[in-house]
Amino acid sequence: MGSLEACVHCGFCLPACPTYTRLGDEADSPRGRLYLMRAVAEGRLDPAADAFQVHIDRCLGCRACEPACPSGVPYGALLEQAREQAARHRTPPPVTRLFVSILGTPGRSRLLWSLGRAVRDLGLAGLAVRLPAWGPLAFLRRGLLMLAGSAPWRPERMDSAPAPSSLRRGSPHEATPGATRADTVAVLEGCVQRHLFERVNRATEAILTANDYEVIQAPGQGCCGAIHAHAGDLEGARRLARANIAAFEASSPDRIAVNAAGCSAALREYGSWLAGEPLWRERAAALAARSHDISVLLAERGPRSGGAVVGSVAYHPPCHLVHAQGVAEAPLRVLAAIPGLEVRSARRATECCGGAGIYGVTHPELGGRIGVDKARELVDTEADCVATGNPGCMMHISAFLRDEGSAMQMVHPVELLYESYRRAGLVPAIGEKTVR
Amino acid sequence: MRELRRRLGDGAVITDPDARLVYESDGLPYHRRRPAAVVLPLDTDQAAFAVARLHGAGIPVVPRGGGTGLSGGALAGPDAVVLGTARMRRILALEPAHRAARVEAGVLNADLSTAAAPFGLHYAPDPSSQTACTLGGNVAENSGGPHCLKYGVTSRYITGLTVVGAHGEVQELGGVEGRPAPDLVGVFVGSEGCFGIATEIEVRLVPIPEAFRTLLVAFARLEDAGAAVTAIMARGLLPAALEILDHATITAVEDSIFAAGYPRDAAAVLVIEFDGPDTALDDDAEHAERICSEWGATEIRRARTAEDRAQLWKGRKKAFGAMGRLGADLVVQDATVPRSRLPSVLVRIGEIAAEHDLRVANVFHAGDGNLHPNILFDRRSAEQTERVALASRAIMVACVEAGGTITGEHGVGIDKRDYMSLVHGPAELDMLRRVQRVFDPSGLWNPGKVVPDGPEPRPLPHLPPDPGRQRDLSRLAHRLEAIAGLDTQGGGDLDRGGAPGEGRRPWVTPRHADAVAELLRQASSEGWRVAPVGSTEAATADVVLRTEGLAGIAEYEPADLTLTAGAGTPIADLAAAAEGAGQWFPVDAPGLEGATLGGVVARGVEGALAGTYGAVRDLVLGLTLVTGDGRPLRLGGRVVKNVAGFDLVRLVVGSRGALGVLTEVTIRLFPRPAVDRSWTLSAERPERLVGLAQRIAGLALPPASVEVGWGPLEATLAIRLLGSSSAVAEGWRRIAPLVPDARECAPGEGSAARARLRAPSLAAESHTRWSGPAGGLDALLARARAYGAEVGADSAGWLLADRGVAWIGLPTGARPSRSESSTHDGAAARWVRGLKQAFDPMGVLPQGPFGGAAWGD
Repeated sequence: MGSLEACVHCGFCLPACPTYTRLGDEADSPRGRLYLMRAVAEGRLDPAADAFQVHIDRCLGCRACEPACPSGVPYGALLEQAREQAARHRTPPPVTRLFVSILGTPGRSRLLWSLGRAVRDLGLAGLAVRLPAWGPLAFLRRGLLMLAGSAPWRPERMDSAPAPSSLRRGSPHEATPGATRADTVAVLEGCVQRHLFERVNRATEAILTANDYEVIQAPGQGCCGAIHAHAGDLEGARRLARANIAAFEASSPDRIAVNAAGCSAALREYGSWLAGEPLWRERAAALAARSHDISVLLAERGPRSGGAVVGSVAYHPPCHLVHAQGVAEAPLRVLAAIPGLEVRSARRATECCGGAGIYGVTHPELGGRIGVDKARELVDTEADCVATGNPGCMMHISAFLRDEGSAMQMVHPVELLYESYRRAGLVPAIGEKTVR
Repeated sequence: MRELRRRLGDGAVITDPDARLVYESDGLPYHRRRPAAVVLPLDTDQAAFAVARLHGAGIPVVPRGGGTGLSGGALAGPDAVVLGTARMRRILALEPAHRAARVEAGVLNADLSTAAAPFGLHYAPDPSSQTACTLGGNVAENSGGPHCLKYGVTSRYITGLTVVGAHGEVQELGGVEGRPAPDLVGVFVGSEGCFGIATEIEVRLVPIPEAFRTLLVAFARLEDAGAAVTAIMARGLLPAALEILDHATITAVEDSIFAAGYPRDAAAVLVIEFDGPDTALDDDAEHAERICSEWGATEIRRARTAEDRAQLWKGRKKAFGAMGRLGADLVVQDATVPRSRLPSVLVRIGEIAAEHDLRVANVFHAGDGNLHPNILFDRRSAEQTERVALASRAIMVACVEAGGTITGEHGVGIDKRDYMSLVHGPAELDMLRRVQRVFDPSGLWNPGKVVPDGPEPRPLPHLPPDPGRQRDLSRLAHRLEAIAGLDTQGGGDLDRGGAPGEGRRPWVTPRHADAVAELLRQASSEGWRVAPVGSTEAATADVVLRTEGLAGIAEYEPADLTLTAGAGTPIADLAAAAEGAGQWFPVDAPGLEGATLGGVVARGVEGALAGTYGAVRDLVLGLTLVTGDGRPLRLGGRVVKNVAGFDLVRLVVGSRGALGVLTEVTIRLFPRPAVDRSWTLSAERPERLVGLAQRIAGLALPPASVEVGWGPLEATLAIRLLGSSSAVAEGWRRIAPLVPDARECAPGEGSAARARLRAPSLAAESHTRWSGPAGGLDALLARARAYGAEVGADSAGWLLADRGVAWIGLPTGARPSRSESSTHDGAAARWVRGLKQAFDPMGVLPQGPFGGAAWGD
């Protein structure tokens, strides 16, 4: 509870909060939620009360309040504790439980995502844009549109012959600086990535190799547990964390590369999740220290430049990268390594897209308001595509771009760099392989 | 509530007791009160609807903005409803050409500046909470901020308000016509939600300074930093900001994510900023560095890049939030002392902290003498909390004893209410209550704030103004002679017959304020009409009051840049005294020769330098006046930032003697600029010059004044530049290409040249004032001239380009197009009447701008 008291109620976090700026109710602001948590801690508020349940649940968990806080209140960790407390007193909504249950069990997870992928690849998901957006259909429509949003980006739209004026000459064959020794790297396969974004995982491996990392496999790994922790199922999150620690210890890579910002943030918090378990504490901290967002690993090596991909991209920083980990520069360095690519920034670029893990599905109305704003701000950049390093954001933003009638496609920065390397012949071709 | 929910929507009305919990506190969680409900309107209409329904049901309403206030002002008790502006976030209009914007109350201070930035403009007042506080909240509190040292506080930048008054009336105040007297905008700003809620706000924007020099200076003793501040101001430098952070604050900031690189081992750091044209700043910065070295600075750094500067400021602005690292709970105090007293008061605060065994962290606007001692404690300990209350009070007493006040910018709210009697006597508190009743007759606006509980104002006997009322003047002369301290003369040339039995109209010269009080008490009981000699209504008064007996400089401490003098002090005397110390009272208006300080204040002169330094209403810090029924009141104070109670000073400035007889005035002075150069350019007609004037006034580096004066034969444009020699040279370098034919006035001849161009319009007996958006001078001139032609005016006038104001001289007998007093209607008309009655219940003083029929007309 000590960290709750660090809040002096200054209110500087309020404007950073997407739910407060939309709703105007201070109970839906970080300061308000902390106040409710403190009231529960002081015994002035029943954790089963509507106010606590509703407002704690309505938080996106985007953690945009953390960089706004002069007192350094660890909001993300406090929110997870509050969610756990809330869940103890009232069963979370069925959709949340469904996701937690599916993601926590590899078999169910595989079944759901394989099905989802089939629906997507048959082109059925994209048709959802024609569904009416009311009642239970709104939920289905949102889900299907997000699914459609996981479809691969089509690089052929972006020219490989740079226009003379925008030519930035890459140096594809120059040795990358700082690459003195080949670190071994294992890639976190993830759950959603493994099935819907397999191409991103493969591209990740290829560009790591191209930047002088030695990619090794880490069998036995599973879901990172982020969704569980955010939903208040801290025990479920710890169970998944232990499994991952064991799996990665077995293959013992120097570094772990994560191409989903939400997952990299989770891995880097394993130390605090398991701080109360003497058997695991140090192992968790060690794993956390070795885990990095892919952009961080790439930025360490430059990354090296590839062939031209001519066009413009709007970069959307995922909350769990920019707010939770403070990683703002690395993804921009990745994009800057691509000759011919112009990087643009939307207004209020660091605001959450409303996707927030499974929030877009569990709170379609409010998540939708935030998503629409995000899509419009991105459309205003008039960029050719939108890059972001988190599958949840890619899918959520894509759904709203489609709703806004925009042809902008979502792309992972890794995919853009891969395409650049492919054009320069630095990486082998990969197909979207079937899941092992 | 059900009706409100139907109209405003479900999420806009919060009644669940647990959900209301978070509205228990604002930025000062030391105080807690849970409201009965929270209502969040979307716009003015919804706000007015909510107020109408709530007040209709007798339910008090408490306005709330961003909830960042530090005096508990936005807390509502269990019988009151919070009216929050969090959903009123639209910028309604942004007009770069006019340097103006209109916003809803919930727009964040920093968001307005961000929106204006692409046009090279910003909103100048910058409270440290500017990223989170709303403009509505700024209006309610009359907020300050670090850069108010040079630019002044909120009040100076508000040009108009849409307010919702008692029972839901919507009223426009000010607006495009400016702020005509009585200055209802001025009195509403800083009223802390006790007069109503401002739902839409019109503000003046200013150019973003082109360049900055930001210095970070470390000291081994806190008092030395304070002394350096005093020295910097005393030597004629005018930094944009001058801030001190002490050791405890430095530690908190450096431990936070906003670490600014402040030296951790320093007892205090001083952040000094100069702004202006790039070429002009190094001299000032070096001068300040020398002064700091003299006072024992241990380290001096300059921000090299914009990022360095941002970092230094972030540390300062987030300092209060960062204090969560030092202790569980925090009381942020706020008080202002005369700048020269900073070192001794800082020592005293340290002693008080030690006496009460508490930790105090200081971070404050040193240039303004505005202290923020932050007391750290743990509220779970009742004994510690008690000690905090005692220490807070002791600090307030120390500041007041040093000639200061109990709050410079955070407001009174709940927190300072009990200290109000330290700075206000019973008569002043009574007047604050009376004024509050004018706006809020039923006591339903933010009850329990600002003014401490006390005797309900006794209803005053009053008479409605009646020009034809018969008065018994037979014993007037005899009675006047009996008043001690009142010199009577037989009468003056204003004699126009007078009353039966009196050959001549008596002129009286009180030698002190008591004589004024006695005179007005008798006048109130006898029904005499009393007017100061300068009043336009003196011609029909029964007694004409001369103020030369109330002359003389009472207090002048150059280091504080404040001067207190009797109302009858000639402006010339005051200017001479200031000049001796290298300072001046920057008012440049026609007719100042021979004018008295009281006269200038009563007229509310705006003058040619108002855009640069503020109008007289922005330069008056405090005053004493005797009300129409003979009650002496001391309003405002002697410090540059003061929000202890409603801003009645603004109301008195420009009231033309209608509210009372001024006896003493405290004004703010400025360092006299090193260089003062003027240029003029003549043409046949003013139309040829206003376009130029507008372009010059619209430059990113505008001159101190740009004016156009014209008579039947010739029109003249005058440009005046003030500042250091390098700043003036740079300013002229940019203006010169626009006016290649302009001629520079010989040194010392500038004021004569300006007087010449104003002379034709001054020759007229009366004037009509026109104002409009600063970007539309052509239209303004056309309107004014068309009116002049219609009434057969002698086509003489004067126009201030940066203010968008023009005066047209009128021929004898012509009436102004609109009386400056007749612009109020609806609720405002009622407020104007009520205010006049609160100050002058028997109507013995002139009506001035307070409407109604003037005597004898």
